[in-house]
Amino acid sequence: MRPLVPVSTGVKLTLGVAFFVLFFAAWAVATLGGYVNRTFLADPLTMVAAGWRLLTIHGFSLDIGVTIWRVFGGFALAAAVGVPLGIAMGAYKPIEAFFEPFISFARYLPASGFIPLLILWAGIGEAEKLAVIFIGSFFQLVLMVAVTVGGTRRDLVEAAYTLGAKASGIVRRVLLPNSAPVIAETLRLVLGWAWTYVIVAELIGASSGIGHMITDSQALLDTGQIIFGIVVIGVIGLVTDYLFKGLNQWLFPWSLA
Amino acid sequence: MSRLVIEAVSRTFPGVGGGPPTRALEPTSLAIGDNDFICVLGPSGCGKSTLLRIVAGLDTPTTGRVLLDGAPVTGPGADRGMVFQSYTLFPWLTVTENICFGLREKGVAAAEQARLAAHYVGRVGLAGFERHYPKMLSGGMQQRTALARALANDPKILLLDEPFGALDNQTRSLMQELLMGIWEADRKTVLFVTHDIEEAIFMANRVAVMTARPGRIKTDLAIELPHPRHYTVKTSPEFSAYKARLTEELRAESIRAATMR
Repeated sequence: MRPLVPVSTGVKLTLGVAFFVLFFAAWAVATLGGYVNRTFLADPLTMVAAGWRLLTIHGFSLDIGVTIWRVFGGFALAAAVGVPLGIAMGAYKPIEAFFEPFISFARYLPASGFIPLLILWAGIGEAEKLAVIFIGSFFQLVLMVAVTVGGTRRDLVEAAYTLGAKASGIVRRVLLPNSAPVIAETLRLVLGWAWTYVIVAELIGASSGIGHMITDSQALLDTGQIIFGIVVIGVIGLVTDYLFKGLNQWLFPWSLA
Repeated sequence: MSRLVIEAVSRTFPGVGGGPPTRALEPTSLAIGDNDFICVLGPSGCGKSTLLRIVAGLDTPTTGRVLLDGAPVTGPGADRGMVFQSYTLFPWLTVTENICFGLREKGVAAAEQARLAAHYVGRVGLAGFERHYPKMLSGGMQQRTALARALANDPKILLLDEPFGALDNQTRSLMQELLMGIWEADRKTVLFVTHDIEEAIFMANRVAVMTARPGRIKTDLAIELPHPRHYTVKTSPEFSAYKARLTEELRAESIRAATMR
């Protein structure tokens, strides 16, 4: 192995799958081999059986759908407000000076700490779930977008000025296209965080969703179901991550070439 | 009549961390006639790039002013095209789209943009690379695209800030010949900043030598080599005489610059 030398697609795929295989094998040995008490950790086969039961008898697919909608709903709201605000802050320093200190303060406020308050304000319906995800992702997103846009190479901006661009042209034709791939990567990252917040929101005061199923299973001591729920989130996360990556590569071929 | 007039332009940068302010440029005056090709030659750090940035409107002079066709320069504009030393092609645009950047900003019709882009792609010898992104191009090809991008805008004056400084020797020579050929055909007014003596003599009608920091113009030398200039002129006795003279001028300043810090 030499530092930074890339590997072929085949090797990459094999190595990536190999870790999953090893992980499940170690888990199977620990549980099926009797090294771990099955009350606390279900074995892989029990998990699959529990998952099948959940999907076929308990209508778990509905819970999955509800959770996905909450994640993307909250994330879309945060992105719809956060990306334009971040761009404005990155491009125009007075706007940044106005918002930046408050957003830096707000991003340290724990989103999960807001849950009791949000339940008081918005009840235990969808609005509360979306609000938790919004609070959890919005402030981080705004700051990262602002830093990205503000970090645009000055010589590119100067070149555009000498070609006759005015302020609005600089924002539309230099800052935006230059920042777009990094903003897309930021969105991919923040979407991952949104998944964490949705489960936390569903652990408290929810009547549907993957997180709700996990809390219910805890009362029943069904670790198979809990683990199945966690694995489902992992799989959805992996799939959306790859979709996002593929979309970014398709949209911004110039940033890879 | 002079196309560009630099009137007693100076630049002082504020001190860093409470230190004394830095005088980058002493009051400097220079008049550039229509169709002139002027090289500003100076040791590194003499303020020649600062002077060019002030002409471009990317920096503001502490004193003095710059007049283009009699009108004072207040900011950057499409009438002064610039090629930078660093690679400043827009990485998200193809060669053609880069060349059309200024034309689009002006609102030139799409068909006319395509015609001009094709023309300048041909002029800088990049036919076949129209749809390439900058990352796929060598340094020399990127600078040729940057030159085409500046020329396509049809500026009143072309400002070149050591545009070939990052290129290897052979590529640099070819780029000089390319630019020379374009200038001989169009006679576009050019202000070219460099620290390379041979480059200055080969390209220019006049070479303005700057002193070490704080810079000012100490010599203004007319280069009377015939056109069209072929690369073989670099081995002629006249060329060598100019080179000997400018080497002396520049060497004194480089020594001053080196002993200053």
